[in-house]
Amino acid sequence: MSSTTSLAGRASIAARLITLSLAAALALAGCSGSAPGGSASVPSDPSQVKGDLNIVVSSAAGSDAGFKAVNEAFTAKYPNVKVNFSAVPNENYNQTRTSRLTAGSIDLVVANPRELPSYVPAANEGDDARLADAGGWVDLTGQPFMSKFTPTVLDQIKYKGKNYTVPTGLSYYSGLTYNKKIFADNNLKIPTTWDEFIALCDALKAKGITPISIGGKDTAGVIMLSIVQSLFPTAANKQDLAKGLYGYTVKLNEGQQLEVLKKTQQVYTYGQANFAGSNYSQMTADFLTGKAAMISDGTWNVGALRGANKVDFGYFPLPASNTAADNVSLGGKVELSLGVPSNAKNIPAAMAWLQVFADNYNTFNAQAGFAPSQTGATGDAFYTDIAAYTKTFQPAWDTIWIANTKAGQAAARPFNWEAVTPMGSGDAQAAANAAEKDWEAGK
Amino acid sequence: MSGSKVASRSYIVFGRRSTAQLTFALGIALVVVFSLVPAVGILVISFTDIRSLPYLATHWVGLENYQTFFSSAQLAYNLSALRNTFVFAIAVTIFQNLIALLIAVLLNQRLRGRNLARAVVFLPTILGVTVIGLIFSLIFNPSAGPAARVWAAFGASSAFFGDPKLAMTLVIFVQVWSGIGVAVVIYLAGLQAIPSELYEVASIDGATAWQRLRFVTIPLLAPSVTANTLLCIIGSLQSYQLIYVLTGPINPATQVLSLAIFTQGFGGPQGGTVQSQGYAAAISIVQFVIVAVVSLAALAYLRRRETSL
Repeated sequence: MSSTTSLAGRASIAARLITLSLAAALALAGCSGSAPGGSASVPSDPSQVKGDLNIVVSSAAGSDAGFKAVNEAFTAKYPNVKVNFSAVPNENYNQTRTSRLTAGSIDLVVANPRELPSYVPAANEGDDARLADAGGWVDLTGQPFMSKFTPTVLDQIKYKGKNYTVPTGLSYYSGLTYNKKIFADNNLKIPTTWDEFIALCDALKAKGITPISIGGKDTAGVIMLSIVQSLFPTAANKQDLAKGLYGYTVKLNEGQQLEVLKKTQQVYTYGQANFAGSNYSQMTADFLTGKAAMISDGTWNVGALRGANKVDFGYFPLPASNTAADNVSLGGKVELSLGVPSNAKNIPAAMAWLQVFADNYNTFNAQAGFAPSQTGATGDAFYTDIAAYTKTFQPAWDTIWIANTKAGQAAARPFNWEAVTPMGSGDAQAAANAAEKDWEAGK
Repeated sequence: MSGSKVASRSYIVFGRRSTAQLTFALGIALVVVFSLVPAVGILVISFTDIRSLPYLATHWVGLENYQTFFSSAQLAYNLSALRNTFVFAIAVTIFQNLIALLIAVLLNQRLRGRNLARAVVFLPTILGVTVIGLIFSLIFNPSAGPAARVWAAFGASSAFFGDPKLAMTLVIFVQVWSGIGVAVVIYLAGLQAIPSELYEVASIDGATAWQRLRFVTIPLLAPSVTANTLLCIIGSLQSYQLIYVLTGPINPATQVLSLAIFTQGFGGPQGGTVQSQGYAAAISIVQFVIVAVVSLAALAYLRRRETSL
């Protein structure tokens, strides 16, 4: 009898605990959602700007140094503000950003609200776009510092007609960085068609030089993006492809879509031995020590390569088409756009920092090494060399494609480059078939 | 009446008021706040589209996250993650326990430098996951690491963590290496609790070294085996940190459920995750059920085995 009572008592206690936990959990779950902040402007009196300014960006050596230089200029002008600058490694950036946004402990952060085209279901909208819709970002449209940035660049990052972010620069990444000396020593010219490119790689291989060093663990996906850039050269071509995929009128395992993976597989054959296990720094080291003639990389690495001062290098689009006219443009993106969350604790300081950033853009970019986002700003001489490829800004495939959360993982990019040997264990056709199957499953 | 008042006063939620029970209540309160509330919270949010961001409303979506997890689009990927999880957990549990037992038996002998050897075996336990990841990334660097030189001596080469056929084996090896210290300590404690008289009696009876191990050491070490096995199973079913550091967050060859939870919950594409954290919570619940079933089954089996030994 007493044991029954005791058991009943214990059950009752357990039930009470679980009910209590449920109530607490529900209370915690309901904590999100509060009123958006008001409008903002750059304070006119620097002495009135006080407190801490928390800046969180994803880390890269060049841009980190650039931001630190701007922070120094800011502190000189606004001595009452303490700048807390956090450069978080890319792999941890999203989790850091989410937790600190929730806590309201970020005043300036990298953000990228992207407008959904009409053919993409609303469920695929990214967090930043949802935040913009909910008033989670301060509207920066028309702020005095925005007029310093190139209008066409601002157009690229507009969300529903408004600018919520400040562009720190442009990067291009549908090309290959090449060692000018190796090319000159072997009488090699920059290829303008796919056949010329294959001939170039074969020639390098025949001389015992690794044609391309690839960072299989980090940036091998850039090869797929480069090939898409040539096979779908304009923004309109890429939009049509995305629309066709979402409309299920285009298949991933046939035509030009399959060609993307077949050419990716062919490029892999010119990579260094066992590149699937190499990371970004090993790839860069191969290039700087002259082991590899080219690396599949973005122009974001220009500052670091220049700093190493070991190799005279240039950059050209990976020519994946046999029509030379399709290979003349580099695909790119607007780099590290900075936004001010509406729940930031020090919006006046954030606005003041953006003004200082706009006024000291050359100081920033001397370190960051981006293609400038301000008209008339000085960029690395490297960008003059590649000006022919960047006359018209062409957005890269990953800035146009929006992943379908209902589809499977093999169709996330949706070109399944990770499954192509040696990155994965199948050939291009098998990888494309897997992607198509996963894409169809999300119908 | 007054007696019942006194009785009711002398009882609090957990029974008669005493120092021991107050301490117990405090412990329970900690467990409730830091374990039970979050656990129930995860169950609740697995039915929502929560994104844990300010201004974004949370909606009740019922079983939608579970339907997505078991949908035809995600099923193959999730089953592959589940298979990898089991391969990882089973291999780590078996190898870690066998090797730890051998090392513990060895370190329980009267050897010169025994304390130093024990410290060396325990050393990996105090290294952080990132440090271990960096060490083994360098060792298995495919172009210049020492492992590549060993492979080259046999005329072979490998991408190591980049090789889809080898990556899981290497990750298991690193996990066993990093976790073996704790297992050895538990076995050593178990070994030292076995009375030496039993070995003396067995020797007098003419038992060989193998017979002493089989009929004295192993039966009396059964509670340590149970503890180590359970810790290993639960730990390895939930482990993802080393895999993340060594092979990256989206490598299909080493994708396990815990890593899927992490990437879905926090590690999506730049500019914000697309899947909600409610979906990550749903995967957590699926994982919880698997861990609970496997652990309880293992516990029942090991307990029965303890008594039969």
